[in-house]
Amino acid sequence: MGQLHVEGWAPEYGSPYETDEALADSGKVDDTIEVDGPWSPIRGVDDGVGQIAFVDGVRRIDARLTLDEADGPVPGICGSYGVGAVVWDRDAVRSDFADLLVDRLAVFGNGCGAPIPPDTQIVYRSESIPETDPGMLIQRFHGAMRKAEARLSEKLAQGGQFVVADGPINDLSATEKVGYIKTHRAPYLSQEKSAIMGRVRAGERTPLFLIGQGGAYPRYSWYQRLVDSADGHSWSGVVRCEVSSALTLEHAQRIANRMAAVLQLVGSEAHIDPRAPQNLVPIAALERELRRRLGDPAFVYRALRSAVAGAAVEA
Amino acid sequence: MTDNRANEPAAAEADDNGVGRVLGTEHTSTREFRVVLDEAEYLQLDDLVVVRTQVPKQGEVHTYGIVTEVAAIYEGANFESDTHRIAVEGTLPGAKVRSAEIAITRVDPELWVSPDPGGKVERAKGAERDKALYVDEMGRPLPIGLGRDGEPVYADLDFFDGRKGGHMSISGISGVATKTSFALFFLRLLSARPDVLGEGAANLRILVFNVKGEDLLWLDKKNRYFDRAATDSWQQLGVAPGPFPSVSFWAPPRTQSGDAVIPDTGGRQEGVAAFTWTPREFIEDGLLRFLFTDATDSRNQIPFIEERVRAQLQRFAVDVEGRPGAVVLRDPIEGHAPGSSVVPNPGERIIGDLKSLVTAVEEFVDPEDGEPDQKWTGRVQAGTVSAFVRRLHSASHRLGHLVRAGESRQIDRRAAQVTVVAIQTLHDLGQRFVVGALLAETFAEKEQTGQRLPLSVIVLDELNKYAPREGNSPLKEMLIDIAQRGRSLGVLLVGAQQSASRVASEVMENAAIRVAGRLDAAEAERSEYGWMLPSTRARARLLKPGTMVVSQPALPVPLVLEFPFPPWATRKEEVDTSDVDPFSGL
Repeated sequence: MGQLHVEGWAPEYGSPYETDEALADSGKVDDTIEVDGPWSPIRGVDDGVGQIAFVDGVRRIDARLTLDEADGPVPGICGSYGVGAVVWDRDAVRSDFADLLVDRLAVFGNGCGAPIPPDTQIVYRSESIPETDPGMLIQRFHGAMRKAEARLSEKLAQGGQFVVADGPINDLSATEKVGYIKTHRAPYLSQEKSAIMGRVRAGERTPLFLIGQGGAYPRYSWYQRLVDSADGHSWSGVVRCEVSSALTLEHAQRIANRMAAVLQLVGSEAHIDPRAPQNLVPIAALERELRRRLGDPAFVYRALRSAVAGAAVEA
Repeated sequence: MTDNRANEPAAAEADDNGVGRVLGTEHTSTREFRVVLDEAEYLQLDDLVVVRTQVPKQGEVHTYGIVTEVAAIYEGANFESDTHRIAVEGTLPGAKVRSAEIAITRVDPELWVSPDPGGKVERAKGAERDKALYVDEMGRPLPIGLGRDGEPVYADLDFFDGRKGGHMSISGISGVATKTSFALFFLRLLSARPDVLGEGAANLRILVFNVKGEDLLWLDKKNRYFDRAATDSWQQLGVAPGPFPSVSFWAPPRTQSGDAVIPDTGGRQEGVAAFTWTPREFIEDGLLRFLFTDATDSRNQIPFIEERVRAQLQRFAVDVEGRPGAVVLRDPIEGHAPGSSVVPNPGERIIGDLKSLVTAVEEFVDPEDGEPDQKWTGRVQAGTVSAFVRRLHSASHRLGHLVRAGESRQIDRRAAQVTVVAIQTLHDLGQRFVVGALLAETFAEKEQTGQRLPLSVIVLDELNKYAPREGNSPLKEMLIDIAQRGRSLGVLLVGAQQSASRVASEVMENAAIRVAGRLDAAEAERSEYGWMLPSTRARARLLKPGTMVVSQPALPVPLVLEFPFPPWATRKEEVDTSDVDPFSGL
């Protein structure tokens, strides 16, 4: 096995890769499943849900690696990610972190792999992929975080929690699990239907529409507005949500109404969060906490270097 | 994930004194550190804590400290409005974190290292508490009050009675600082604990001046408002509560009472003796100098002529046959033997009070017809002589009633352990005269023997009046002398003042034990209170009556203590007149 090296340059350099792009799909949209005809905004209904679990993850590439093999250098990355939840207990009027998990992973290309020498506090798992494209390495790493998020969301939802997870959902379980998408890259609405966004006020939503038909995971989706702003465009303060189509339409409607009524309560303020209001207060706090738990990047990088160097000396 | 949990068994923390952990997000030092408190624990100001630190190659070091500030914050809140999100809406995860700031008082063994972050902080109790307060190193620890934890706080008597240091200085606002109350409380403990005071307890004499009201004229009477809680506190201090057992009270005579000598007091006559000096005693003790105690007197040549007149009076004074205490002035050339009595010649002025003495002196230094006698004036300028005479007349007017012939009524400081001299009715000039005369007498006695024992304690309020920072006077000089040399002669000053900054610095600097009650905010910022921690200074303006800050050489930080309600009365209405003894069975 070849010698392992930690590269000296910034780990994120040269990877402007949009990792969630692949998950967006604009296929056939059925915008008649709830309202067949002209759309008008639907006011949300707070059904008094007691607890809401917000699930999210953060990741960081800690270092680039090179495995010095006889037939050429093998690229690799190693990074840390954390996933967890904030459970907002509306009855107790408090929020707490739950199920916080930090994992560290090294990914090598070219089907090669090497264990990362363990430090006393920092331990990396090691995996490999057949490709050599650095983007694919990051994709694999990002996928690991998404899987961990999905596992946690499913676990909480199975336990009876109402879950709001950051990002699209991709499974077929009929649980109360909402995917929460802040950005609007793929156009789901026809030009005619899009006009409704000018009329949807805070606390209201569009009718449901079905997306991903024919794909692996068809979902009910809707747009809702978190906050009215005087100077915003018609899509400002708007988020898209989705739930699995394995739920009944009535169940999906109930969840959509609940989301329209409740989510605006946790929208962030523009002067506090540049991604306001879509970046929800509990999720922003969760990301901050997870980032903190990933450890100081300089400290992690140094520990990694010294562990690799130490192993090289021993070898 | 990175986890730096301190490697200690968690189970052991169940039933111990642990209150939290040393904060790890800022540096600890040998001066201070912070504690993050456990959920179910608390620390308040002045609590004492200990941390055990494993030092490489040296072993375990105990760091002791005292809480100087406590704080709480929402962790996870980045903006002020996050407070609402955490407390009211509950939408933001956040946790209350409480912490305390500790000033380190001691490291044992003396290895000056800082405590480790994450180290377990425990409340110092029992022997650990004594170590935090250096009680184990005190030669003779005397309890001088109760800490906030209800346990006694000690002062090392070695630093009061002159062995290693002497004197006490008490500062604070009038009325709420309870300066005199604390002084008396301290003296009661001192006199009631011969087991701590040791050899100095025998024949201990305490001289107290009552300068305001008649607060101190009831020290021998029980206080009817003394209750069970106060009893418990006194017993915590190892003293059975009770009034002072041995007190004598002295007051100047009334001015308009003719030949009868009646003490000039309002609420109490019984057991109070009037004091006066005879002209003979006045001359013999050289008390003339204490008529010139105004700080401005020293700027001109008055001290010079005063000294000359004082010496001449001692040479000229001759006792009068059949008139005890009275004298006539005759030139020694006329050949009278020392101690002899003479029959006055017809027309010769008999000096029976201050007025006649002043008139007699005036005849020498400023006669109506003829030239001044230069043996008496020492050739000072005429203006100075006039000023001298003017002051003499004014003194005769203000305190003339303190000097009269007849039987000796000098204050007898041996009559009781505590001598209370009531000077509140006297003019400032009279107060300074009495204080000066008694201090001189006390100091002269001790100077003659040169012995530290028996101890003589002097309690003097409004010290700034007797030893002001500016100017000079024989009284100020004497107080400085006592402050500087009294320690080795067993003359101990317990001085009190509203502002330490207005008292002669020589007097302040020599006080080993410094005490402050509530202070004026501006006063507390002065350098005279540099012995306080910044946090204590900030708090000094909030101290309740009965709470004092005490600094002593044996301890690097000042302590805040409370002293219990006195078992003696401080007003006539407080005197317990019932026959039932509330202290029986205690």
